[in-house]
Amino acid sequence: MNRNYKIWAVFILPFPVLFGSLFIGASERVAFHDVFSILLPGNRLADPLIRTIILDIRLPRILLVFFTGGILSVSGAALQAIFRNPLVDPYILGLSSGAAFGAALGLTTAFLPVQLAAFIFGLVAVGLSHFMARKNGQVSIISLILAGIITNGIFTALLTIVQIWSDPFKLQSIVHWIMGNFQNADWDKFTLAIFPVVAGLIILFLLRWKLNVLALGDEEAASSGLNPTRLKIWILLAATLASSAAIAVSGIIGLYGLVIPHVVRMLFGVDNQRAVLYNLLIGGSFLVLIDNISRSVAGYEIPIGVFTMLIGAPFFIWLLKKSNIGWQQ
Amino acid sequence: MPGKKSIKRYFVYFILLNIIVAGCYSSAEESSDVEHANIISVKDFRGKTLGFNKPAERVVCLIESALSGIYMLGAGEKVVGVPGDIYRNHLFFYYAQLDERIGNKELVSPGNWDFVSIEQVVGLESDLVIIWSSQTEAISALERFGIPVYAVMISSFEDVFKEIRDLGQILDRNGKADSLISYTRKKLQELEFKASESRIKSAYFMWAQGINETSGINSTVNELFWLAGLQNVCRLEQEHVTVSVEKIIDWNPEMIVMWNNEKLDPLDVTNNPLLQQINAVKNKMVFELPDPFLCDLWTLKFLFSVDLISQWSHQHPNQNSTDFEQIFKFFYGKSLETNEPEL
Repeated sequence: MNRNYKIWAVFILPFPVLFGSLFIGASERVAFHDVFSILLPGNRLADPLIRTIILDIRLPRILLVFFTGGILSVSGAALQAIFRNPLVDPYILGLSSGAAFGAALGLTTAFLPVQLAAFIFGLVAVGLSHFMARKNGQVSIISLILAGIITNGIFTALLTIVQIWSDPFKLQSIVHWIMGNFQNADWDKFTLAIFPVVAGLIILFLLRWKLNVLALGDEEAASSGLNPTRLKIWILLAATLASSAAIAVSGIIGLYGLVIPHVVRMLFGVDNQRAVLYNLLIGGSFLVLIDNISRSVAGYEIPIGVFTMLIGAPFFIWLLKKSNIGWQQ
Repeated sequence: MPGKKSIKRYFVYFILLNIIVAGCYSSAEESSDVEHANIISVKDFRGKTLGFNKPAERVVCLIESALSGIYMLGAGEKVVGVPGDIYRNHLFFYYAQLDERIGNKELVSPGNWDFVSIEQVVGLESDLVIIWSSQTEAISALERFGIPVYAVMISSFEDVFKEIRDLGQILDRNGKADSLISYTRKKLQELEFKASESRIKSAYFMWAQGINETSGINSTVNELFWLAGLQNVCRLEQEHVTVSVEKIIDWNPEMIVMWNNEKLDPLDVTNNPLLQQINAVKNKMVFELPDPFLCDLWTLKFLFSVDLISQWSHQHPNQNSTDFEQIFKFFYGKSLETNEPEL
């Protein structure tokens, strides 16, 4: 496909996806024409119940899913660029295991809100990785990755302890949270997540041209007048903070921040300057489509993480076999 | 191009924004406790007071044991949404007898004990949702839409009585609730008298997951044994706990009671070479509770389990078996076919 057409397609893609998703839901009371009529300006005659279902249940969910998918993809792409490693995702510094532990604590104790606990422990995990990697005031990237692996191990062990102490009901809730879901999405959750996510997106968007320089290597970045180590830490923390705000409300959505940046790279090449926007639009739209499947394929909700894994894993393997994934394109 | 200072500034803004958002987020739910005078007022298992101007008429019940209680109260016609698991084979067999709408699969199931479709519940225009208190996220979401939520957590048989009493009030079935409770208490007193004569004194409970899964002293299992005149050998505090076979041998129970198990039966346990030194195995005192619907420990039907275990401990497995039919008829107001057909 002509490159211009592809770019147009990416920019137009979210509109039909988001609008079409308003028609999908568990309630049989919402008819096809209700969605049209409720969105028409000046229509005040619509049934309040249907209005609630479309505007207060479906719409916040769709928007929350879109921004979650977007920020995970953008963060994944940014981290792959700064680490110059195509196997990196936003969870590299222990974010997912820290957030999962926090959520588990929130689910098993009465006094700790789940989202806040997930958000805080996600950040604690990343802070711990950073602290462990820091030596003589410097943080090397290799140390940081190793510290992330250790942090993941620590929080996974703590999570296991909480799971052992939990009763079967709470254990099931923990498992559901870990697999990611948007079944309780509403405007409160959307509001909770959107500010950090948008702030993270803005920072990554403003720094997008530097990602290309960092992807060339530290020497090249330094010769361009940048401080690569410092810049990497800022990007890393911005991506991680924004991702942690998203997963605090969605749970852990596996593989997503790894696969979508590869799809974008396959379609548009390795230009990180443009990739930030493409990742947001493609990542957001694709997760909305997956969420539509997760809430409509059965009579009950299936955690979205199940589908990102089931769809993402074979797709990723196919990509690996089909093309030279990495920086060669 | 943004300089180092600009980046720092962006980042400081970002951190501040995150702190503000995190700080603004408060766990304190807006108190929706009842301030106005209501004709019905009950406190659910969270300690939250619910007020109703009139008895609930459209009930979404997402707990199977509570649904069973609603049918015992004779308020089945008020149910508009049921938990998904009642459409599973063995439960469906019983509920299809209790409610024609379930038999015809006309009642929707907007959730279960692990998920809730908020959209479906809102669409059902229910005036009461009954849900586990551990489903905190779903409860918050439902309450934000103004739907009254009665949250349940059963930790003891007294909790079962409280649930029936509360539901009796909310559904305008007070008289029936009282008679169900007093009938069960009377039957339990009779069993308590028999229990004192039991020669067997200790027992181990085995959940369906396997021999290692049991319950400690803070559980309905512990009460179940106590009412049957037995002591639970597991003195750990947890409601549900995994223990080693070594520990079970150490405890050496005189009887093993298995929860209904699709994969194992008492013979598998008595033939387990690791358990041969346990008194219960030596004396073939291993029993399996029948269908979970019949023995549900979170409903008044726990009476059946107490009765069965009491009989087993007296080594009279078939004594009083006809009582079950009478009790069923009293609980549900009709005779239930209890022999599930082969599927």
